[in-house]
Amino acid sequence: MDTRVVITGIGLVTSIGIGREMFWENVLSGKSGISEVESFDTSAYSVHKGGEVKGFSHGPFVKNIDSGHIGRASQFAIAAARLALEDAGVAPDDINREATGVSMGTTSGEPNQIELFDDCCVADETNQVSPYFISSYPCHYIAGHVAAELSLMGSNMMIPTACAAGSFAISHACDILRNGRAQMMLAGGADSFSRITYSGFARLLAIAPDKCQPFDKNRKGMMPGEGSSMVVLEPLDLALERGATIYAEVAGYGLSCDAFHMTGGHPKGDGAVRAMEQALAESGTSPDDIDYISAHGTGTKSNDFHETVSVKRVFNKAAYDTPISSIKSMLGHTMGAASAIEAAVCSLAVYYGQIPPTINYEEPDPDCDLDYVPNESRQQKVRLAMSNAYAFGGTNASLILKAYEG
Amino acid sequence: MNRRVVVTGAGIISPLGDSPQAVFSSICEGRSALGDVTLFSTDLMDGAQAGEIKDFLPQPYLGKKNFRPLDRTGRLTAAAVQMTLDNSGWTVEMREENLVGLILGTMFGGLHTIAEFDRLGLTAGPKFVKPLDFANTVINAASGQTAIWHTLRGVNSTISTGGSASLQALAYGMDLIRSGRSDVLVSGGTDELCFESMYGFYRAGMLAGSISGQSACSTPFDIQRNGFATSEGAAFTLLEDHQFAVDRGVSTQAEILGYGSGYDYSQGKDENIAVKARAQAIQVALNDARLTADQIDIVSASANGSKLNDRYEAMALLRCIDLENVPVMAVKSSLGDSLGASGAMQVVLLIEAMKQSLSPGIQTMSKADPDFSMLENNIQNRPVEIRYALANAVSADGNCCAVVLKNISDE
Repeated sequence: MDTRVVITGIGLVTSIGIGREMFWENVLSGKSGISEVESFDTSAYSVHKGGEVKGFSHGPFVKNIDSGHIGRASQFAIAAARLALEDAGVAPDDINREATGVSMGTTSGEPNQIELFDDCCVADETNQVSPYFISSYPCHYIAGHVAAELSLMGSNMMIPTACAAGSFAISHACDILRNGRAQMMLAGGADSFSRITYSGFARLLAIAPDKCQPFDKNRKGMMPGEGSSMVVLEPLDLALERGATIYAEVAGYGLSCDAFHMTGGHPKGDGAVRAMEQALAESGTSPDDIDYISAHGTGTKSNDFHETVSVKRVFNKAAYDTPISSIKSMLGHTMGAASAIEAAVCSLAVYYGQIPPTINYEEPDPDCDLDYVPNESRQQKVRLAMSNAYAFGGTNASLILKAYEG
Repeated sequence: MNRRVVVTGAGIISPLGDSPQAVFSSICEGRSALGDVTLFSTDLMDGAQAGEIKDFLPQPYLGKKNFRPLDRTGRLTAAAVQMTLDNSGWTVEMREENLVGLILGTMFGGLHTIAEFDRLGLTAGPKFVKPLDFANTVINAASGQTAIWHTLRGVNSTISTGGSASLQALAYGMDLIRSGRSDVLVSGGTDELCFESMYGFYRAGMLAGSISGQSACSTPFDIQRNGFATSEGAAFTLLEDHQFAVDRGVSTQAEILGYGSGYDYSQGKDENIAVKARAQAIQVALNDARLTADQIDIVSASANGSKLNDRYEAMALLRCIDLENVPVMAVKSSLGDSLGASGAMQVVLLIEAMKQSLSPGIQTMSKADPDFSMLENNIQNRPVEIRYALANAVSADGNCCAVVLKNISDE
C-alpha cells in the first residue's frame, strides 16, 4: 500500500475541446459547450439544448478495430485513451501489454445501441435488429474496445456507478497499481448523448432551458452532455524512471452510499460527508489544507443546495475560504465521464496553479453562500484539490489529488 | 494487506432453486433449468429455450411491501441479498451500526426497463415516460435500490464486465476488505432474462441452435456444443474481514485467498492471445493465493457451450491445472448462462461442493471435445475432498477473472 500513484497523461473529448491543451484553455476562459441538440429531434420536448460534442471524428483514433460496429462512447473513450497516452509520451507499441489495464466508468454505456434496437421494435421491424447489437451495447465493451484497440491484456474493468463512475474507475485503477497488479492503467469515463437520458431528465423537469447555472439563485436545472476523459496512471517510481511529466499524485479517495433515495441526495448529505471524510483521512490531510473543490454542481436546485450543506459540514469555517467551482456550467453533465473530466481538471489545477470558473453565475443564492469562483478563472497555488461526485443510486465518491512535490 | 477475507453467508435465486443446497442437489440430480420462456415471446428465435425463474415474486423473500420502484433485476437482487444477510446473521440493527457495502456484478442491469422506457417515449411521446422507470435506467439501479432496501451504507459499486462480472465483483470486494477500506460487504451478481438480451444473442448467432439446421447443444466442453443458453438469477456472498467475523462469533464458510484478472485483447480472434490472457488470470490468482497449481482440488469452469470460449478456457486450464485428475464442474450445463450472475453462482455452488465433498457432473455431456477429452471424466458426480478450489469466469469478449477459495471448515 506504500506505492504512490501519479497521473502522467490526460486525454479529453469534450464539447469545449478535444485534447488537454484546447480543453484547458477553454475551460479557463469560461467557454460554453452548450448548443442546440442535433443527434435527435427534440421538437416533442420542451427543452432543446445540450452539451453535444460537435464535429468529432473517430477516424484519427480508431485504427485497429472495426469502427463501424462500436458505439459513440467507445469511440470517445478510444480517442481519449490515445490522447492520454500521447500526452504521457507513451507510444502504444511500447506499452507493456501484460501489465497495462483499463478501468472505466459510465452511466448508460452505449445507449444509442439500444435506441436503434427500440427503433426496430417500434417500426415493427424487430427482425432487423443488428447482429452487432450484443457486441456494441453492453457497457463493458467500452473498456473492452479500448483494450482491443491498444492491445492491453491487463485488468479490464467497467464500473457503471452512474454520475460518480469516473471517480470510481480512477480510484479502482489506483488500487490495482498500489497492489502491484499492473504497471500502468488507463482510467476514466465515457458517455454519449442519448435520447433516453434526455427524456428522463426532461420528464423530471430537471433540464435547464438555456444555460446551466450551478449555485446561482435562479438556476433552472442541469444540462445533459457527453464526452470522455482518460488519464494515464503509473506508480511514481516507474513514472520517474521514464522521466514522465507528473500532473498530480492521487492522495486518497472515499466511497459511500446514502441508502436513502434513488435520484436525490440525502437531505443532510450523510453519504457525501462520509466520502469526503474518508478521502481526507486517507490523504492524511484536513479540510484547511484543501485549496480547491471541484463540485458535482449539476445546476439543479436540490443538488447544489445539498452539496453546499455537505461541504459546510465537513469544512466548517474553511468552507468559506475554499474555492469551489463547477465545470458543468460549461460542459453540462457528461454523466459517467463527468467525474473523470473533473479529476483531469483537478490534476491540471494542481499542475498549473489555475482554477476554472463557474460560468453563468449571476445572482448569489443565500442558501448557497460559498466561493463558487464566479465567471472568471483564478491564478492561485493549488496543492490539494478535491473532486466530489454524486450519483443515482445514492452513490458518492470523493477523490483528492495532490501536487507532486518529490 | 494481511487481512484475510472470509465468506460468512450466501444466497442464490435460480431457475433450479433458491438456496445453495437446493440448487446444488438439482445439479447433482441432473436437472436442467432450460425450458420454454413465458416472460416474452420467443417466436422470432424459433422458440429457443432459456432458464427462467418461473413465477418469481419478491414477497416470499422480502415481505409485503411496495415493489413498484424495483424492476425484475432490482427484485432479484434485493431478494438474494436478503437471503445472504440472513444466512450470515447481519441483522438490520447491525447494519444500522456498521457500514455494509454492496458490490453488484451485472452485464445488463435492468435492460428491459431501459428499453421499455425508451419505447414508451417513442410511441407516446417523451412527455409520457415514467419517472420511476427513469431511476432504473442507470446500470447501477439495482445496487442503489438494494442499498436503500437493506440499509447498506458502505461502498456501493456495480461491476459490468459481461459474463465475468460477479467474479470481478468478488475480487473487487476482496481488495476493499484486504486494504482495510471495508470490514464487511455483500458481493455477487444479478442478470434478468429479457427479450432484448436474448434476442441480441440470438441475432449474433451465439445461442445454441441459432444456426439453422443444427439442434441446440449448450453442454460445456461437449463435442456437439454450438452456443449457450441464456438464463437468469442472482447470487451473493457475504464477505468479511476474518478477524471481524471471528470477533462476532460467526461461522465461516470459506476463505477467498486470491484472484487474477486480465483481458483477451484479440476478443477471441487469436487463439494464442486468447489462451494466454486466460492462463495469465489463473496463474496470477494462484500466485496471489500463494499456492501452486497442484494444490487445487477442483475447478469451477465458466464454460457455457460456446464453441470458441469453451475451447480457450479448456486450453488455458490445461496449461495450469492437471485436468486428468482434478475434477471440473461446469454448472452452466444445468443452469444455463445467467451472465453477470454466473460467476457468483459458481462460487456459491463451489462452497456447497466443499461442504459436501462432491463435484457435480456435467451430466448432459455425451462426448467431450477431443482436444480436451479428459473432461469426459466429469460426466458423473465425483466425490472429492476439497481444500483449495479455483473459480474461473470469462466473458464472451474475453474479460477473464479467476478466484481461489479455501475450505476453512476445519478451523
